[in-house]
Amino acid sequence: MTLAVQREYSNGTVVLKIKGILDISTAHLFETYIQEIEDIEELIVDFSNLEFIDSTGIGAIMEVIYLSKEKQFLIKLRGINQQIYDILETVGLFKVLEAVQGEVV
Amino acid sequence: MYLNEYKHVHGLTSSNDHVMEKWLEREINLARNIQTKLLNGSIPSIRDAEIQGISIPARLIGGDYYDFYPLENDKVRIVIGDVMGKGIPAAMLMILTRGAFRSAAESTKGPAETLTAMNKALCQDLRLLKSFVTLFCADWNPITNVLTYASAGHNMPLLVKGKEKKVMELPKALGIMVGAFTDHVYEEKRVELEENDTVFFYTDGIVEAENKDREQFKRERLINTLLQHLDKNVDEIGKHVVEAIHTFTEGVPQKDDITMVILKVNKKSDMTKTNFSFISSKE
Repeated sequence: MTLAVQREYSNGTVVLKIKGILDISTAHLFETYIQEIEDIEELIVDFSNLEFIDSTGIGAIMEVIYLSKEKQFLIKLRGINQQIYDILETVGLFKVLEAVQGEVV
Repeated sequence: MYLNEYKHVHGLTSSNDHVMEKWLEREINLARNIQTKLLNGSIPSIRDAEIQGISIPARLIGGDYYDFYPLENDKVRIVIGDVMGKGIPAAMLMILTRGAFRSAAESTKGPAETLTAMNKALCQDLRLLKSFVTLFCADWNPITNVLTYASAGHNMPLLVKGKEKKVMELPKALGIMVGAFTDHVYEEKRVELEENDTVFFYTDGIVEAENKDREQFKRERLINTLLQHLDKNVDEIGKHVVEAIHTFTEGVPQKDDITMVILKVNKKSDMTKTNFSFISSKE
């Protein structure tokens, strides 16, 4: 199974639409898009077409969250289905996001 | 128990690489041996309850973890966890996690305090390695029949009510994964157990096990299996859960580590006797 990432850019906002599976076999692909982030105000990660995420995938999202503090941009996670939402809530990802984003000026 | 049927390392094919492949295979088997021995330590024999732990790595070695630690007054501390990722990197961090648990369990009063201490000890390393661990920690008190617990981003165990013949999730204890914020303080919850109640602690590899149609085993199938075998002992319950997963997946290779800890409350014994000892784990 694969992951497809589509990137859109407009007025300081980057939208990353992720489709397929974000897991140990595909997380590196997502990370290449993250490493290219420079001088943006906002990052929107669109989960609408994401079917599955494992712990390595969650780790990749965590790294984006930490990066937002370092590079001072806002993050919005959008279109998360119930199953993936429950997983992210259980591990505490939304709490980490809230705390880190609170430090983004 | 630490089960694994894989015997080969795949990958390198050229003749020159053959020697390297042999070394690698030998080293991985040695690493697996270390992990198996540490995970297969000893299962406590506690008063008025039975405990069993089973772990089946998806690869030769895995990142799932469970452990038991005897406490004063016949209490026992249980931990189950899942390190981010799979294989050798996850296994290395699992050993780190085990060390942190053993050290924290000795010096902390309850499960929340144990997780807080473990997070403090591990956080910097995990951040550096861009990793995290989810953990669930619980203290079982056979005198009061109370299970006290805390979660660091781990799924809630299932509680099988023996008398009512129903399964429910333990009331949610909130807490983020270990490895995010050094000073995070975990909250503690408690639940009173009754005779014939079973607590099933597990990692997500069970409910996310897939069959050839890419359907997941899901919590519903796990609940049905637990209900079907609620009168059995912990060894049998564990075997039936593993069997149900195998039957469902029909030989599709396991993608994630599968781990469970089963605690079952037995009939109260004579309270004047104290019977706390360690027995060897069963393969």
